[in-house]
Amino acid sequence: MAKDLPIQFKGTALKIIQAQLRTADVALLHAALADLTGNSPDFFENDLAVLDFSNAESLPESADWPAIRQLLRASGLHAAATLGLPEGLAAAAEQAGLPTISASALSRPARAKAAEAAPPPPAVAEPTPLPAQEAAPAPVPAPAPRTITLDKPLRSGQRFYAKGCDLIVTAMVSAGAEVIADGNIHVYAPLRGRALAGASGDKSARIFTTSLEAELVSVAGLYRTFEAGVPADLARQPATVSLSGDGEPRLTVAPLALR
Amino acid sequence: MTRIVTVTSGKGGVGKTTTSASFSTGLAMRGFKTAVIDFDVGLRNLDLIMGCERRVVYDLINVVNGEATLNQALIKDKHCDNLFVLPASQTRDKDALSEEGVEKVLKDLTHMGFDYIICDSPAGIEHGAVMALTFADEAIVVTNPEVSSVRDSDRILGILQAKSRRALEGREPVKEHLLITRYNPNRVEAGEMLSYKDIQEILRVEILGVIPESEEVLQASNQGAPVIHQKETDAAEAYQDVIARFLGEEKPLRFVDYVKPGLLKRLFGGK
Repeated sequence: MAKDLPIQFKGTALKIIQAQLRTADVALLHAALADLTGNSPDFFENDLAVLDFSNAESLPESADWPAIRQLLRASGLHAAATLGLPEGLAAAAEQAGLPTISASALSRPARAKAAEAAPPPPAVAEPTPLPAQEAAPAPVPAPAPRTITLDKPLRSGQRFYAKGCDLIVTAMVSAGAEVIADGNIHVYAPLRGRALAGASGDKSARIFTTSLEAELVSVAGLYRTFEAGVPADLARQPATVSLSGDGEPRLTVAPLALR
Repeated sequence: MTRIVTVTSGKGGVGKTTTSASFSTGLAMRGFKTAVIDFDVGLRNLDLIMGCERRVVYDLINVVNGEATLNQALIKDKHCDNLFVLPASQTRDKDALSEEGVEKVLKDLTHMGFDYIICDSPAGIEHGAVMALTFADEAIVVTNPEVSSVRDSDRILGILQAKSRRALEGREPVKEHLLITRYNPNRVEAGEMLSYKDIQEILRVEILGVIPESEEVLQASNQGAPVIHQKETDAAEAYQDVIARFLGEEKPLRFVDYVKPGLLKRLFGGK
């Protein structure tokens, strides 16, 4: 009946990132982003974002909205709306194409309210908040890769993020380079840079390498640096890094017997 | 077929321009028609080391902007018939280099029948350095035996494999060569410098050569003649070996072993 209308509307659930900004100063934001993303242009993979200023301590009278959007776009993040801005700034942002949304439109408070009224939903790990219309049928996601394999060395200043999967690197990871995965990380060469496994909280993730020379290793946010170098019994040896202990997880670095 | 070779390092003052001058001269001495381009816009040095600074009329930026032809801007080297220098501009800034402009200059040089085009990169990892490596077929990464220089070389190797045309178009990657300059075996022995083996272990790139630290290099720069012309000096011999290895000849590394000072030297000091 309505199938051939030129425009149709459907409810959908869209992943949107809540970017909590404490300042509108472009230079400060730039520095912080560069630190975080290593200026990687696809860090956010074209995600949409709500700019949440609720936690900002002091905001100026005016802000350079086009510059802020441009800055975020350079990391692959598309600003879609703002939240928690004082009136004047909010109006200017709206002029620049960033409408204001209310805090209740975001899923966290919405979910909390729903939990009071309805029986608790089944526990599903949700690393990013979803908009309120959770009842709408979710689009079928493209099958995510289970593993990403890199065959080229990762040099100083380069970073690679294996989103939602394991990462295998068959060449060295230089000092000053960074490999991140939501799953496990395997490096079949010297691991001299930083390796962060279980980046979105998977405590069972591990790091494996044939030669441990790392600057920093981390599993599910727990990290360890090697300021005085890797301990002699593990240095340049095959090793694995994992979390152990149920009550208070500890980061354990253990040798691997390859032969 | 023309090969574009970029001499780069990340860090400044490690010997890129010295290497560009001697490397291009060495290729020309072997009979290859060679052009050497100074990409260090704003800080031109190559013409000084090549001794042609008083003959600079037009420069790379003039050619990129169409204000001069390549033939007008290329300066014929005074020592070698096959060698031409394209100087950098002293008065512009490096943003004047556009990718299309650089590509056109390199294409035109290719059509002029050059065998090798040597691109002398500025230091750093900014626009000028990226322009110098964008079109490279091969890259000579110049490193000094110290950790910060090696780290910067690692960084530039990463940029090379990420931003070069060969990488972006998915062609065969840029061929990497490692050249260690200012090498002092005695200081390596004393533990004051990284050894060439350490550097190769860190960077994992094949060594094209090791140039010993020497006063001839400084003298040659000030005299405006590439050090490869200083016959029978260690630095010139080492650069000749570099050319030979680059052209596929087998040459063992020289000037990398510790020389024990003789008795007289130990008694009376001296250099």
